Amino acid sequence: MQQPKNTKYRKAHKGRIHGKAKGGSTLNFGAYGLKAIAPGRVTAREIEAGRRAITRHMKRAGKVWIRIFPDVPVSTKPAEVRMGKGKGAPEYWVCRVKPGRMMFEVDGVSREVAEEAFRLAAAKLRVKTKTVTRMGDGG
Amino acid sequence: MSNIITINAETRQNQGKGASRSLRREGKIPAVIYGGDKAPSHVSIESRKFDKEYKQSGFFSRLFDIELDGKKVRVLPRDVQLDPVTDKPLHIDFLLFVEGAKISVDVAVNFIGEDVCVGLKRGGVLNIVRRSVELLCPVESIPDMIELDIANSDIGDSLHISQIILPDGVSPTITDRDFTIATIAAPTVMVEEDSATGEEDEETEKLADSASSNDTEGESANSSNED
Repeated sequence: MQQPKNTKYRKAHKGRIHGKAKGGSTLNFGAYGLKAIAPGRVTAREIEAGRRAITRHMKRAGKVWIRIFPDVPVSTKPAEVRMGKGKGAPEYWVCRVKPGRMMFEVDGVSREVAEEAFRLAAAKLRVKTKTVTRMGDGG
Repeated sequence: MSNIITINAETRQNQGKGASRSLRREGKIPAVIYGGDKAPSHVSIESRKFDKEYKQSGFFSRLFDIELDGKKVRVLPRDVQLDPVTDKPLHIDFLLFVEGAKISVDVAVNFIGEDVCVGLKRGGVLNIVRRSVELLCPVESIPDMIELDIANSDIGDSLHISQIILPDGVSPTITDRDFTIATIAAPTVMVEEDSATGEEDEETEKLADSASSNDTEGESANSSNED
């Protein structure tokens, strides 16, 4: 699973996800991509599950790029603990994804294989997605 | 150079985001034509006609004729702004064709010989570093695409700009180095996953074995009870 090696601060504010993606919204590496069309906090587990789904379906042919990184720590309070007494301990890492963000890219496989791999990966993610194809490849 | 396609355009009276948004609602795309000695002109074009052309490869290295107020102007597309979610064009920049001028254009690279490539047959992946190359060329002779033969390339090989024969008068804008266009990379191998799946498989096998042995024991116990 992806997570930062070291961070400036241990805990982060929850924050809100506003607007559309400003960058990282085009295909930069592969011929096919999985793009988010809704906002959400995608966890490191989901990213890893998506990556595994893609590589397994592609039978380790081709190449996969992950275009998002979970750099926001999410803290939770233990069970049966009263409110207050400070913020809970960091539990997992998330990536704040805005609509339009390219999440995965693949290359070196056919369109059918890429689309099926992305369909399987999208089932692991909490955000709505769509598959995009590089311009000139009929997309 | 392939045949030049004509796109109809209308002059825009109002500029700004409000006017542009109303244009988009009508199925048009705001655009600007600039270059030469003339002042830039703000126009709008039909999105349906434009989308068809835009989806074809080599769009930014093809010349177009824009019919504006009964006159035809020759242009080269320079930039297209896209909506990040829908990927629909929001605005287009066209550069006015000026005869005799030399311009830098991104020309698409076409890879040939993928079917017979030694490296790809061995399971390698064509890792494209540059899908297009910035070339300095006369406006009259912009190549549609440049071809790179990868038939004899093996895993680990790099393909550079020096391996491409460019037309006369055309040169790459990067001249200080022999830059890479593509490499034949080894396929993605997940060593951790191998061991993890192996362990998982072993575990599931063990579980299955124990379950089957339990079943047989249960059956034997049942049978003994019946007896």
